[in-house]
Amino acid sequence: MIEVEHLTKRFRRATAVDDLSFSMPRGRITGFLGPNGAGKTTTLRVLLGLALPTSGRATVAGRRYRELDAPLRTVGAVLEASNYHPARSGRNHLLVLARAAGIAPARVEKVLAQVELTDAARRRVGGYSLGMRQRLSVAAALLGDPELLVLDEPANGLDPEGIRWLRTFLRSFADSGGTVFVSSHVLAEVSQLADEVVIIHRGKLVAHQTVAELTLQAAGATRVRSPRAEELLARLREAGIDGDATESGVLAVHAPPERIGDLAAEAGIPLHELVADTGSLEEAFLELTAEPRT
Amino acid sequence: MNAFRAELLKATTTRLLLWFGLGLLAFLVLVLSIHIGSHDPESLRELSTQRTTLGFGGIAAIVAVLIGSLLVTAEYAHGTINQSFLAVPMRGRLLTAKLAAGVVVVFVLAALADAATLLISELWYHGRGETLHLGSYTLAPFLGVVGASMLAGGIGVGLGALIRRQTGTIITILLWLLIGEGVINAAGDSARFAPGHALGAVVAAHRTSTSGDMLAVWPAVVVGLVYVAIFCGVGFLAVAGSDVPSRGD
Repeated sequence: MIEVEHLTKRFRRATAVDDLSFSMPRGRITGFLGPNGAGKTTTLRVLLGLALPTSGRATVAGRRYRELDAPLRTVGAVLEASNYHPARSGRNHLLVLARAAGIAPARVEKVLAQVELTDAARRRVGGYSLGMRQRLSVAAALLGDPELLVLDEPANGLDPEGIRWLRTFLRSFADSGGTVFVSSHVLAEVSQLADEVVIIHRGKLVAHQTVAELTLQAAGATRVRSPRAEELLARLREAGIDGDATESGVLAVHAPPERIGDLAAEAGIPLHELVADTGSLEEAFLELTAEPRT
Repeated sequence: MNAFRAELLKATTTRLLLWFGLGLLAFLVLVLSIHIGSHDPESLRELSTQRTTLGFGGIAAIVAVLIGSLLVTAEYAHGTINQSFLAVPMRGRLLTAKLAAGVVVVFVLAALADAATLLISELWYHGRGETLHLGSYTLAPFLGVVGASMLAGGIGVGLGALIRRQTGTIITILLWLLIGEGVINAAGDSARFAPGHALGAVVAAHRTSTSGDMLAVWPAVVVGLVYVAIFCGVGFLAVAGSDVPSRGD
């Protein structure tokens, strides 16, 4: 659905995106993660035709955004929540976009209802709360009933209720067959929502994996307690598994609990405790984007 | 056509035109009052004075260049240009739609300025016991006002696309009108080819040149069209070759 090929974007001397390549299949929710300044927004803006690439390309359904026959019917984008004329009403804002894209005005009422803004539709956007403006952005993205939603930090500034609304909405969009590409630095949100994540740092790709794979990769050692800990450690090392004795009778072993349990059973060594130290997306993210110490 | 209709809707769903319209009306009341009030009755009866009076709607051309520029720069100032380019990603198409919408909007504004000029002048003439002679000679500036405003609107759209910063564009326009056009008078007869002089000649609508620093109407229209082409050509290329500003990383 989305294909980024050797994308590089430079601003004068600064390189925002550096030979970035990844692809994103249909029908999934993909999180796009990276620290501030990693190049997420720049990548999305190149994808949406708002920024020109220095080299490489980014395509949607095999075409550059500006080559799409009906862009709003293919991609719905949620960018900054401040992209509004404050004196224009929410309804008129959507009517302008609908008219430009050749979408029937009736669709405006439908998306307003979908994002629960019908009652505020006649009010000027300048009087909207941040949450309402974000929902108006979502409404604009839904105008063309697209199959792909691209969202740039959609949870920015939202209160917990707004975040929950957004999460529920995106999940239902994906459940109905839609594809979602969402950039965020709120890792807890992405871990609850995304099927897979693309992580970039300093404009370069550092990981593209499922959330499950990534959290497994970040998992710490398995805690093992046994009355024959030293004997177990020796057997584990014979099997090529690394581990350390942390205290009397307790080992920290770098292997999944299943493997350790099987080896202990084969050797007839009793185990009193076998606990996996589950990692988190946050730990994986921090490991992957850690700055080298000088 | 969709983009053009959307641009018209944009222009009419904020208070931009209302405030400019009211400002123009207030200015016309002021300058026409001063102008008509300061002439003696004999002078008011002269057709040349009446023609000049009915050309005061030419102020609409100044408003038109500002409106034209704001159709572009306001989108950059508020960030709505992002969504406009998402809906119409071919930048040239969107800017052409802005140009067309700008020309239509200032056409209406100029027509209203003509109507207001006529109404205010009639009221003043009536009040002073004089009669306005409405014939082809005295009414010619009405067409000139409309034509000059449409050209000014086109120049404004091009200038807005070229500079893109709202305050910078407005300051540039005002500095040019207040200082640039005056300074260029030093160039002698060549000054008649300056944008303000050319549009002034369109408003004056003389079939033949009446003074060294003013073109006849049709050459002035051609010069105005050349300015529209230059500003829009360069401005549109500048937009097509640049990134849309963003606040993210």
